[in-house]
Amino acid sequence: MKLAPILLRRLIQAVLVALVISTLAFFLMRSLPGDMAFRVAAGRYGPDMVSVAAAEAVRAELGLGRPMLEALGIWLGRLASFDLGVSFVNGGSVAAQLGHELGYTLRLACAAAVAAFIIAVPVGVAAGSRPGGLMDRGSLVVSVILRSVPPFLMGLVLIIVFSLQLQWLPSAGYENRGSDILPALTLGLGLAGPMSRIVREAVFQVRSQPFHLFARTKGLGARAVMLRHTLRNAAVPVVAYSGTQLALLIEGVVVVESLFSWPGIGHALVHAIFARDVPMIQGAILVMSLGYVALNALIDIAVRVIDPRVEEPA
Amino acid sequence: MITDDDFLPDLAERPWLTRQRQLGIAILVLVLLFAVVPIVTAPDPRVQDLTRVLQSPDALHLLGTDQLGRDVLARVSAGARLTCGLALLCVLTAACIGSAAGLAAAWCGGWVNRTLATVADMILAVPVLLIVLLLVAFAPGHLLPIYLALALSMWVEYFRLVRAHALRVLASPHVESARLLGFSPAYVTRWHLWPELAPYVGSVMVMGTATAVLALAAVGFVGTGLRPPTAELGLMMSESFAYWRDAPWLLLSPVAVLVAGVVGLALTTGLGEDRP
Amino acid sequence: MNALTVENLSIRHQDQILLEPVSFTVGAGQCIVVLGESGSGKSLLAQAILGLLPHGLAADGSVILKDQRFDAGDTALRRQRWGRELGLLPQEPWRALNPTMRIGDQVAEVHALVRGRPWAEARSTARAALADMGLADEYRSLPHRLSGGMAQRATLAAARAGGASILIADEPTKGLDIALRSRVVDDLKSVMVAGGTLFVITHDVQVARDLGGEVIVMRGGQLMERGPGDTLLTAPASAYTRELLAADPASWPTAAAPPAHGDMILAATDLAKTYDGKQLFAGLDLSLSRGDRVAFVGASGSGKSTLGDILIGVRKPDRGSVRRGGGLSALAFQKLHQDPGAAFAPSLSLARALNDAVRLHGRKWQDVRQWMRRLGLSESLLPRKPAALSSGELQRFALLRILLVRPALIFADEPTSRLDPINQRRALELLAEVAAEENIALLLVTHDPDVARAIAPLRLHLPLTAQ
Repeated sequence: MKLAPILLRRLIQAVLVALVISTLAFFLMRSLPGDMAFRVAAGRYGPDMVSVAAAEAVRAELGLGRPMLEALGIWLGRLASFDLGVSFVNGGSVAAQLGHELGYTLRLACAAAVAAFIIAVPVGVAAGSRPGGLMDRGSLVVSVILRSVPPFLMGLVLIIVFSLQLQWLPSAGYENRGSDILPALTLGLGLAGPMSRIVREAVFQVRSQPFHLFARTKGLGARAVMLRHTLRNAAVPVVAYSGTQLALLIEGVVVVESLFSWPGIGHALVHAIFARDVPMIQGAILVMSLGYVALNALIDIAVRVIDPRVEEPA
Repeated sequence: MITDDDFLPDLAERPWLTRQRQLGIAILVLVLLFAVVPIVTAPDPRVQDLTRVLQSPDALHLLGTDQLGRDVLARVSAGARLTCGLALLCVLTAACIGSAAGLAAAWCGGWVNRTLATVADMILAVPVLLIVLLLVAFAPGHLLPIYLALALSMWVEYFRLVRAHALRVLASPHVESARLLGFSPAYVTRWHLWPELAPYVGSVMVMGTATAVLALAAVGFVGTGLRPPTAELGLMMSESFAYWRDAPWLLLSPVAVLVAGVVGLALTTGLGEDRP
Repeated sequence: MNALTVENLSIRHQDQILLEPVSFTVGAGQCIVVLGESGSGKSLLAQAILGLLPHGLAADGSVILKDQRFDAGDTALRRQRWGRELGLLPQEPWRALNPTMRIGDQVAEVHALVRGRPWAEARSTARAALADMGLADEYRSLPHRLSGGMAQRATLAAARAGGASILIADEPTKGLDIALRSRVVDDLKSVMVAGGTLFVITHDVQVARDLGGEVIVMRGGQLMERGPGDTLLTAPASAYTRELLAADPASWPTAAAPPAHGDMILAATDLAKTYDGKQLFAGLDLSLSRGDRVAFVGASGSGKSTLGDILIGVRKPDRGSVRRGGGLSALAFQKLHQDPGAAFAPSLSLARALNDAVRLHGRKWQDVRQWMRRLGLSESLLPRKPAALSSGELQRFALLRILLVRPALIFADEPTSRLDPINQRRALELLAEVAAEENIALLLVTHDPDVARAIAPLRLHLPLTAQ
């Protein structure tokens, strides 16, 4: 399969996802009690400045007075022109706010992914190389525990230990030095649990393949076999599985940002749901979902780079 | 690589009920008992007693009282009940819909397969928690959107699993033989397909239960799920975090039940049963 | 000079002896062939020589490479000889090549890392070695692009690249078409000409015959007979070896002339099928009558199974049509599969599977009983699941289940390729007998021309060339 059709599939997926999320957001807005025009006007101009005239202007602009389908068309049309609207709460542009928050979220997500990678790969390779050994059994127990502790609990434990008891690290915010260590570690440990088992399983599978034994009987040493034959083949399923891992990462971001008051998109989303700030809810979920699709497209590409078979079918 | 399969004593055969699974099932039974028994033994979880707040565990309140003087044991038990019920409901709904859709896609192929695959693809493109949050915004504090969102996002896993295995089995010689011998699709589905699918569906159901339990707790914890005074495990954790120095049992009780349940599920799935 | 000597090598699993003590010696430039069915212990012997026994199995005795003696139980020292003195030519070599590494690199890395040559030199040596094997253009190919025979030669080049003069070849012809068998034997012979020593395990009498050298016959972990190949394979001393030789399709009698034509049951006209851009056949006309015995012969991928599937209606042709003879329903056309274990639902007992078929078609259980007696099946097998039966038993049960619907045609798709030679002969003879008794047409698909010649008076060779 060529690369282009795969990317096209991801693109179609992205468009469909955007359509469905935006449609749901439209019905969410319609389901809210009260006059939407006044709500939007209050958001834009401040609660004291709302006049009937301002509300009517908003009503006309957003097509609020029109039949359902027509209004939906207008709503989706604005999305198609990449207009995410303005927040009901502070009247600011949703796109500008999300752009600002995305930077913080990416910083946290990258730190977490790096932490998970540094922990999971060596542990998984060591466990898979000696199945049933001390490392394998030990890391299994730890990974079952890590998998059973949801990110918000992991965060609570880390806050209690490192922030409240030991007072080594700040528990909230982002200004202080070291304030990103706890949130990144919370997310990273949660990811490292399942990831180390995926690496372990991949390494174990490769080591039970006939070609692994043949590489040994050719006379290659254990190190050469590991570097030249095991790792690359084991990387194929690990990279392919990391799509599911990304879902964990994104879900973790929402929870961990709220717990640590980290000023990212997840935090913003939870606040927007409290305030029923529909444009913000729509924007945050769209950015995270489309980001997820885009990262999965990157994974599709990475698999092809690692596994040359895909490019050269028989 | 060099093998004499018929000859080697079977060193790899293992029973399904390993010690690990026995432990997991035992933990789950305990958690279920904890969720059910206090209905008759413990006080009403809703009754407040502002004269007895943040009491340490004693004979009357086995796990102490909370910041409003309610019995912690009763509240945690009620929360466990709610979580178990919702998780089972979500998993059963998702498993039925997903399996039926997977079988339909595998048998029919063509546009049925393509349509279902496209829908599944789209749902997969959004992480579960985001679907939950989006639907929760419609009716904050209610259980229905959480249930709908979890069922909606979880059926996809059964669909993909059942479809992939059903396609493999449908292409196998035993199905070809059965069709040539005149057996109906219903017979083939019941006796050829389902026995091969059931173990996979079963283990995804166990894993899916853990997903649902954690999702409910997560939305409760960040405050977008059920509202106080409902006894819900995630909500109780975020409420009691403020008192953790004065009344650590208040935080530890729901945490212990939640973690025990998820560990029990993980052990029952056969996590780490990957052969050594 | 003796290259490989084995002294009193035995293998056990706890208290159970899996291989009785074996001793032999092979000189440089010579070969020894171990002949036996699966389960004979021949693979265990090879694993023990390499120091590769599965966990839980223990070996006693000694292995002597050139003049160095190794304790058979001590594997670590022998592993250091891998590649340099002792090489493995694995079975199904397409699975023994790293799927993500180019063929040339898999040979070159041995020159570079085992022999310590600079990479540039290692690459050019590898290129030359591949060219010697007729793989000059495949240096940059990935393994999945190679045919079975090419993969076999590439592994041979890689196995010898470290300088190994003693090669352990594990079923070198398994999974290869008959046509490639002689090529593999030639490649192995050229190893001996170059001074190498071969230890070959095989179930194929023809391979043993062509290689020459000493032959050991094994069965159930015991040495049955040994001796020079040319005498042992022409005048065997043990009854078992005689049976083994008689089971070689090359020695079967040729099928008798076709019986008188019965009613026409199937007529195909102008069939054409293309698969993966390759035309399998076109313009094919064929008609079958009751009692006919026809074989489709050809290499894998020649379309012989596809043609059979089209005739019984499991697949559709691209062009042309298949017409069933007067009054026959689709049920009259049945198939025996290659892997009999895969032809039964794994979760149903044999009794249940047969009973469901009996009820569906309004037969009596008495019919099952009669057929079981005729096919030599014991009633004690009925409560078992398919996995608990042998391939031979399952193939007979599959035949029985088909006979319950009173077919007009049985399409047998390589029905005995999973059976040992001795069982293969019995199974095919039984199938031909039953078909003759019941006046059923038999359509046999096989890659072995000898099997086809012995069973079917009419043979169609695919691809269709000189018709």
